[in-house]
Amino acid sequence: METLDLARLQFALTAGSHFLFVALTLGLATLVAFMQTRATLTGSAVHRRMTRFWGRLYVINYAMGIVTGLVMEFQFGLVWSGLTHFAGNVFGASLAMETLTAFFVESTFLGLWIFGWDRLNRWAHLGVLWVVTLTAYASAYWILVSNGFLQNPVGAEVVDGVLRLTDAAAVLTNPAALTAFGHILCGALVVAGFFVAGVSAHHLRRRTEEQEFFRRSLRIGVFTALPALMATAAFGGVQFGTAQPMKLAVYRGAAQEVARLQAETAAAHGPGDYAPPAGLVQGSATTMMILFALMLLIAGLNALLALFPWAVRRLRIWHVLLTAAVPLPFAAMLAGWVFREVGRQPWVVYGLLTTQDALGELSPGAVRFSLAAFASLFGLLIAVNTWMLARSARQGPAATETGHVPAEPLPAPAF
Amino acid sequence: MEITLLAFFAVGYFVLAGADLGIGMLLPHLGRSCDERGRVLASITPLFMSNEVWLVAAAGVLVGAFPLLEGELLSGLYVPSVALLLGWVVRDAGIWLRGGVDRAAWRRGCDGAVVAGSWAVALSWGFILAAMGERSVTGSAAIVVPAVAALFCAHGTAFAGLRLGGAPKARARRLSGASGERLVYALTSGGMALVCLLAGSRLPLAENLADPATLALLTPALLVITPVLVASQVWLWRVFDRAPIRSQ
Repeated sequence: METLDLARLQFALTAGSHFLFVALTLGLATLVAFMQTRATLTGSAVHRRMTRFWGRLYVINYAMGIVTGLVMEFQFGLVWSGLTHFAGNVFGASLAMETLTAFFVESTFLGLWIFGWDRLNRWAHLGVLWVVTLTAYASAYWILVSNGFLQNPVGAEVVDGVLRLTDAAAVLTNPAALTAFGHILCGALVVAGFFVAGVSAHHLRRRTEEQEFFRRSLRIGVFTALPALMATAAFGGVQFGTAQPMKLAVYRGAAQEVARLQAETAAAHGPGDYAPPAGLVQGSATTMMILFALMLLIAGLNALLALFPWAVRRLRIWHVLLTAAVPLPFAAMLAGWVFREVGRQPWVVYGLLTTQDALGELSPGAVRFSLAAFASLFGLLIAVNTWMLARSARQGPAATETGHVPAEPLPAPAF
Repeated sequence: MEITLLAFFAVGYFVLAGADLGIGMLLPHLGRSCDERGRVLASITPLFMSNEVWLVAAAGVLVGAFPLLEGELLSGLYVPSVALLLGWVVRDAGIWLRGGVDRAAWRRGCDGAVVAGSWAVALSWGFILAAMGERSVTGSAAIVVPAVAALFCAHGTAFAGLRLGGAPKARARRLSGASGERLVYALTSGGMALVCLLAGSRLPLAENLADPATLALLTPALLVITPVLVASQVWLWRVFDRAPIRSQ
């Protein structure tokens, strides 16, 4: 493989791994914040226990998301220095805003939330979680402003071979960023909804001691997933209006349109292949759509069955289905991401900078070394995370209540 | 102004996270049993993430206000930067996952990850600081790398002397001296800050500023948010300096 292919593979691996964690984190944070709000407002013991239990799963997943996020953050400068050179005046600023207004606050407040259970009063502790949740949203917004600019570069002009910011408002309200933001936030809620429902169904099927706890949790998951799924699809549909013409033409298999756009782009930018790989573009979009249809079917059935207490209590075949459906939204998320990113190729900044030109001066050996190292490390982290999540989910809420919270770093006893 | 902001976050990282790193490097020395190592790590677990995030902020200022330099610096120092990231991920995973499974072998494995990751980060920093401004690892690395590693260790020991109790504290004191822990910590912090500023002063920062139209928006936003960030961290430190309240 050439350095470019290796570097792209490394970026896809980093972004994909990070995105798997982030999707669940973003959705679960929202659900846990609502659970804790209810617990704090009403003093409801079961909601307090829910906050503890689901919060623990959230924290396990967050930790892995943050370590892959660190690698993500440094990828641009490490590998794609041509991109920071060309688009740094726009792209760099939104990344900077993400690190300072979102990531920094989120990490600090998450520390306060994890270790603040016995140190903060309950209102402050609730407020801290809301800050974590909202800054996670802010983080997603800034990242999608950065990505949206790559998809649809607005509010900037090329001066002496470098982009200059001309209209900040256009960058911040880029439709390619806003529609994706809605799509991903709702998608994250689908991930979390399926996850919460699937884990709860496992406990209901096994008839563990926590029936009441998991019946409520199951309903929360099911009734979050269905509306979130519809909203995700709506935002997804709107996104087609902002997608690049070439991506759409390749997706639809419109050969004439592809040829016309190819000739047009070649006339403007010189000879080259300006169409993305059709197999990946069509394959990923079709995968996403099929998964959506499947999830809609399941989510609709879920919402119907969840209205019947006997079904929630003992319809075991449904419980099996709910647990088996947990991976579906993750797969749809990844497929959607491949469609969005691969569909833009060969451009990194659409119509302005090719991926080839964005690559820094790197030796293939160095990239091969880092790709192998990151691939093994992330593979291990995903495996450990899945195992830890499954283990903690199976243990149930009792494990979080003895004061000893095994999945979290131990609070400092030495102070 | 942008240079001051960059220096502020970079120095913040070296002073705050440098102590965590030093403790991670010296973990086998400070904690002899699994239980002791657990207590040593517990002195940094509530804070390590909020300490590391200073580097993320510094990288953010770098990519936002000095985009040309960010790309050149990182891709020019590809191998040590990748090694730093790998060490960072391994170390953090070790700290996060240690409490997850109640088995001695698991904890030993996690301790190993923390130690190996911390050393990888510290040694990578040595290479990066030695090469900064020269864009290549030069002969000076032979002196700078061990010196930087020693400084991380000294700083970690000084912090351990302040935060730990019992036998680990006694061991930390053997390196830092029996009294005046605060003075030692202040001195090693000064050393960390000095190394960071010396290396940073060799970077061509002023020549690589982003376009004025970008800075006109970015810099005021960063200046407004910075006091909020500092305040949130001060709150975190104060919360963990207090004894837990068992009210709920």
